[in-house]
Amino acid sequence: MTAVNTARPIRSGPEKRPRNRDWLHGLLMSAPAVAGLVAFVGIPFGYAVVLSFYNVRLGSPLAPSFFGVEQYRRLFTDPDLSGPFLRALLNNLTFAVVVVPLQTGLALALAILLNRKLKAIGFFRSLFFMPVVFPMTLVAVIWRLILARSDQGLLNSALHAVSFGNWGAFDWLGDSATAMASVIVLSVWQGVGFQMVILLAGLQQIPGELYEAADLDRATPWQQFRHVTLPGIRGTLVFVAMLTSVLSFRVFDQVYVLIHGGGLDEDATRTVMYQAVSTAFDQNNIGQASAITVVFFLIVVALTLIQRRVVRPDNED
Amino acid sequence: MSSTSRRYRRTACTSLALVLPLVALAACGGGSGGTSADAGSGTGTISVWAHQGQKSEDTALQNAVKSFNSSQSKIKVELKLIPGNDYTKTITATDASQLPDVMEFDGPTMANFVYNKKLAAIDSYVSAKTLGNATDASKAQGEIDGKHYGLGMYDSGLGVYGNKKLLDAAGVKYPTGLSDDWTAAQFTAALKALKAKDSDGKVVDLQENNGLATEWGTYGFSPIVWSAGGSLLKDGKAEGALDTPAVVSAMKTFQSWKASTDPNTDGNAFAKGRVALSWVGHWMYPAYSKALGSDLVVLPLPDFGNGPKAGQGSWAWGIGANTQNAKAAGAFLDYLMNDTNVTAMTTANGAPPATKTALAASTLYKKGGPLQLFADQLAKPCGDSAITTSCVAVTRPVTAGYPTVTAKFSDALNSIYGGADPKSALAKAARAIDQDFSDNAGYKIP
Repeated sequence: MTAVNTARPIRSGPEKRPRNRDWLHGLLMSAPAVAGLVAFVGIPFGYAVVLSFYNVRLGSPLAPSFFGVEQYRRLFTDPDLSGPFLRALLNNLTFAVVVVPLQTGLALALAILLNRKLKAIGFFRSLFFMPVVFPMTLVAVIWRLILARSDQGLLNSALHAVSFGNWGAFDWLGDSATAMASVIVLSVWQGVGFQMVILLAGLQQIPGELYEAADLDRATPWQQFRHVTLPGIRGTLVFVAMLTSVLSFRVFDQVYVLIHGGGLDEDATRTVMYQAVSTAFDQNNIGQASAITVVFFLIVVALTLIQRRVVRPDNED
Repeated sequence: MSSTSRRYRRTACTSLALVLPLVALAACGGGSGGTSADAGSGTGTISVWAHQGQKSEDTALQNAVKSFNSSQSKIKVELKLIPGNDYTKTITATDASQLPDVMEFDGPTMANFVYNKKLAAIDSYVSAKTLGNATDASKAQGEIDGKHYGLGMYDSGLGVYGNKKLLDAAGVKYPTGLSDDWTAAQFTAALKALKAKDSDGKVVDLQENNGLATEWGTYGFSPIVWSAGGSLLKDGKAEGALDTPAVVSAMKTFQSWKASTDPNTDGNAFAKGRVALSWVGHWMYPAYSKALGSDLVVLPLPDFGNGPKAGQGSWAWGIGANTQNAKAAGAFLDYLMNDTNVTAMTTANGAPPATKTALAASTLYKKGGPLQLFADQLAKPCGDSAITTSCVAVTRPVTAGYPTVTAKFSDALNSIYGGADPKSALAKAARAIDQDFSDNAGYKIP
């Protein structure tokens, strides 16, 4: 960044070369990432766009026939198809809107809690980081036991004990009011440790002198948090929030595992990824699934661009 | 001039890159007509894919492979077990040329694999003795247009297991066989009576832990549709077969059972005595009889008006369409279907043997045996379309469109169980199935 800035005012002929070389170096350095992006995102996406205009079935002996915008028309105007699809989009948005602030806030709170000089702090940190190590599918299988709808379910029996027997069995996964909330809670529990570690690293970048100075100024802990901690990790926080929102659009594993064996309310928790995968691999309808992913890709890109506009990190300092 | 030509070239390259895979797909999808299975020399190594089921089943299969390999030195079998949940998806997503010489498949998916040219007819590769010894039900499941594509070691039985002690304690009268089967209303009344004696009010297990938006949903609960006089598919159409008023009302009854159903998260609801009834197939028999002993009774599914119905059909074995060693593959199938292996497998999973000699020797399924009911049901097969009031065991639709049929039906079932309106859920599923069939020219096998 700074190199380009200093180079800009120089306009005389012979000085052009270093600028050119910067451009070349930039290209060289980004090449591995760009190559990966083109190979694993660009080409498959282009392929998906093409497939979405065809009636393609996995392994069908019929040749793919051109379908025009029929797949898209069905997605948006055929009530049988557009209903679940729009609901899935809404579920994805709900998930993101709840999870991003919740998970970022919780990660920050945990990071602050674990950013002190205690004995065995390493133990506590690894304890909170532990769920991240487990694959989501495993976590979902375990949470199936916790959220089971009979009074044998761990959560139900805990509530039963705490409420002196006044709590009956509740169907956490099957009730449309709590199905999504259950998915959110287990996702946050699994993922929060990752964000916590990044924020913890950010917190440790803040020089201790700032806190000493704030102490001398008799700043309260809250004032220290507001005026020293938060500005110190602003960049990290914005990064974490963006990362979390991108990850939250990918929600799939937990829904898949819970629906296939937990009696999860399908309508209340169906996400676009889940719908795309089941359309492609349960019903062999590749054209339809491609149309779903294309629409979803465009929406996620648009949302990410808007989000970048709104919460741009000020790195001017 | 040069800039426009360069731009033109770039556009051409880009569009080629985009379209090429599609061309490849069309070329593959178009197929070259006919299967290219080659008899081969009958010696060498053949690959075998099977689904990973219960541990006892896997062991029985592994033992069969081991003893086959040591029984002769000409053919060597390499067995690969793939987790059952992803097994069908794996075959669907695998190109026909990458498939093994011998593979297992779930019965109702067979038509799709024949349609996709992934299976070869086995008639000329297995011995006449093996084909002659297969039960009629098993042969019917594996037959399309007079050719056989699959043979099972076992068939399947579906029913309700009962805990005699708990049923008697609640004063519930239960059927002794198909003839005095309880009606849906009697079944509901039985649940109510059991509930009065149960601490948590959960008295029946519907294998909810397997999920209902799965093949279990279709296999386990389409008998409700058939017993109500409906059908998943009639003359290639679901509308007017799946969403009749009788089916809607039967599904309402099914929905009402949820309040009495144990979610069975640990898979032990019935074996541990938490529930008195378990709606499941033959495969739970070994575990249940071990847990309950003589307290275990086997009952037919309730009658929704058109006579009791049950599912039929199970895993079967076939030969990959592109095998270069079909003769060896056939020899292995002959070996798998011998009495020793069929008996070992059916002892491991409690399934009705699908060969005449093994069935006759079966201690479980003979007259007076504990699972005679399942044999009785299988002895009255309906096929997949001629569903009358007197036949019992119905084959799931033999069509290449089955993946869509089961996906849409089980989705509807799951949402009905979750509280959705049965009428609109079934109508929606029927429309989606019909749409899919018309998109695919009715899935006619070429």
